[in-house]
Amino acid sequence: MKDNSSDNFDSLFVKKQHGYKIFMLLFFLILFGIVGIYTYFTVGAVRSTMESAKTEVQGAEPVNPSLIGLMKNKAWVESRLKMASDDSIGMSIDLEQNEIQLLLKGVVIMKSKIKESSISGFFKRMDGNVYFNIFGSPLTIRHLESSIAKNALRVVQAPKDTIAAAANAAVKKDTLQGKSVYWTVKLDHDIELNIQGIDSITKAQNKYKLGKGFEFQRNLKNIKNSLEHIMKFQKPNYTPEILISIPENEAKAILMAIPKNASITIRI
Amino acid sequence: MIRAILIYLTILIVGIIFLASMILYAIPALQESTFVLPGVSATQTDAGNIESQKESINKEVEKLQVKLDKFTPTNAYIIVNTSDNHFFLYKGNQLIRDGKCSTGKNEKLTFVNSKKVYIFKTPKGVLHVQSKQPNPVWAKPDWAFLEDGLPIPPPGDASRFESGTLGAFKLVLGDGYMIHGTIYKRFIGQNVTHGCIRLLDDDLDVVYHTLEVGSKVYIY
Repeated sequence: MKDNSSDNFDSLFVKKQHGYKIFMLLFFLILFGIVGIYTYFTVGAVRSTMESAKTEVQGAEPVNPSLIGLMKNKAWVESRLKMASDDSIGMSIDLEQNEIQLLLKGVVIMKSKIKESSISGFFKRMDGNVYFNIFGSPLTIRHLESSIAKNALRVVQAPKDTIAAAANAAVKKDTLQGKSVYWTVKLDHDIELNIQGIDSITKAQNKYKLGKGFEFQRNLKNIKNSLEHIMKFQKPNYTPEILISIPENEAKAILMAIPKNASITIRI
Repeated sequence: MIRAILIYLTILIVGIIFLASMILYAIPALQESTFVLPGVSATQTDAGNIESQKESINKEVEKLQVKLDKFTPTNAYIIVNTSDNHFFLYKGNQLIRDGKCSTGKNEKLTFVNSKKVYIFKTPKGVLHVQSKQPNPVWAKPDWAFLEDGLPIPPPGDASRFESGTLGAFKLVLGDGYMIHGTIYKRFIGQNVTHGCIRLLDDDLDVVYHTLEVGSKVYIY
């Protein structure tokens, strides 16, 4: 009786152990499946974006790789020249020299040294023709989103008399200090340009940890978009991105200066 | 029982961490890497032909650069940053002087019984110096009275004219905007003006004597 109950107990334990193993196996198989499907769709999205970019330049004579450097330089000067004929403020982003410039009628009115930058692999794998098709002319801002209001006006009511005027003067002004400065622009060819103002890398990392940071919100937005498509078994949209970090006050100055439909020239 | 729950919970947590790290970091990193795209194939071209092509591209770039450089004025011009309240005075590519200034306070003045509004901001773009004047007298516009809660005097009234408020010089930019001095020196470096550009006395002196009528004023 005693032995029998002991056997029953052991067999139960062995069954449970098998149960864990089966559960673990099934659980991880499902997880790998999800990850596999997600990877397949997201990688597929990058490839189809490149394919469609190549279709746009189909038939063009291939550019010799040893001439690409020089031709990039030519495209850069050409597009800056085109921008010079524009009446409004434009922006030049030179990732080769790590510099952003604001130009007005061809005159450099502001320079900002890029602290950090990263570009999508898409840009590194472009052939000469795709590069010139995209960056050979100034790109136009299609949509702009920013963490701080662009050129916001403070509304003030005119005082009735001199006493009210004195009281108005004592009102504390709004301040933007302490607010993270970052902005995202959607350009032609569905390129996304992200500029964030950081005064130190550590500060930017801390913001990221707190979930306030720009990269965190950007990643979250991308994942949400991808998941929405994958749930419907569709390829998610892929947007090649350029991420640039510059000093905070300069990021703010550029954001306030550029018009909402400004022209932007980029050299990679 | 508790042991079983703990084991299942551990498996679940490990699984969720794995999934989250893949979706949040690994797959986006893979997507942004160059691994997922094929490399650019090299094309063979005759070496002599390449050299001549390089030469012709370099010549074209030089020509384009000359055209681009022509946009920069050879005479004096000033650049005003309204965000940082800083000015830069140039002659060609040479920076002559820079310093703090005050620009528009980005304010909209509204009225209870009227639809009239005044917007106090410095215009952005390229303006020109239209005229220059030493010892300017400020002809106070209506908003200067309305802002202080005072009744508007008739045009030409003596209370409309103030000496010294604009400093030693003024450079007129059009539409009521000016570069001038100030008695409110403690506000230099801040967005406090009604759209004009205020400078400190020494800076104003240099700017006034360097810029000519017709000189360009780039404001951003």
